[in-house]
Amino acid sequence: MSAAPAKPRFAVGEVLRATPRCMNRERMRWYVDALFTAKENDGKQHIGERNIHTDDEYARSQGLPGIISDGMISTNWIYNLLLDTFGADFLRAGSLRTKYVMPITENRLVSAGFRVLETKPSGDRTRYGLEVWCEDDSGTILTVGAASVVARH
Amino acid sequence: MAVGRYVSDLEVGDKLGPIEYVMTPFIVHEYAHAVELGQEYFYGAAPEGHFAPPTILHSDKLRLFALACPGGDGPHARLHYEYDATWIEPIPVDTRIRTEGSVVGRDIKKGRTFLSVEFELRSADDNRLFVKYRDSAVLAYKPGSDLSAKGERK
Repeated sequence: MSAAPAKPRFAVGEVLRATPRCMNRERMRWYVDALFTAKENDGKQHIGERNIHTDDEYARSQGLPGIISDGMISTNWIYNLLLDTFGADFLRAGSLRTKYVMPITENRLVSAGFRVLETKPSGDRTRYGLEVWCEDDSGTILTVGAASVVARH
Repeated sequence: MAVGRYVSDLEVGDKLGPIEYVMTPFIVHEYAHAVELGQEYFYGAAPEGHFAPPTILHSDKLRLFALACPGGDGPHARLHYEYDATWIEPIPVDTRIRTEGSVVGRDIKKGRTFLSVEFELRSADDNRLFVKYRDSAVLAYKPGSDLSAKGERK
């Protein structure tokens, strides 16, 4: 008698959300500084240049209401949720696409989430197709996208 | 090897890179810490190894643009619109990276100009492919903004 095939860990339609985080100006600046530190790559921390993520006056001159977050912060928060959920399987290989459909202004509460769109079990693994997003505490969608991962059951 | 003075000058077909650098533990720690990735994969104690997150390649775009467009963004701030990455394997720290790509789109939507680039991040030593990446940005947030590079950013 053969064992019944293992089921995927998550079913189509299942939704997971991360704990909300406040998009404050310190988080915005941390990203800018880290990005420039990575770019300069000289073993020293760098302060990023004045831009729409760090300077209200400059952001307003560009037609924005004030500083806004770099979209990559929300991408990283989605990546974080998926990595916490799927672990090393998502570290090893996968895909993530995000579109920043609304600027994230200062002090907005932001939560990353995903919904399982499809599951394709094969052997001891399942390929997941996921819808991903970031939303604020009123449910307004700020970032949309998709991800895929092949994960063990 | 500049192909335009400003990023806003870039056109479809313009080559970006190659650039080479070492994915040092320092920049991985700084980046992961800044975006609150707490998993030990990025700090050195995970049994799977010590890796960079695929999101750090956002800094490669800055490197590529700095090389291609020494004047900077141009008259307006650039807004990131889309990140699209597929990683084939994780990037071990201390790997020498080579990244190169090109401009693949310049389109006007709702009065705004979108610039799209694609690039690949590989091992400079054995050419292993780590990440394929596509990125779109809005060259000016105000619809209909004049993108001609008349001067430095205000």
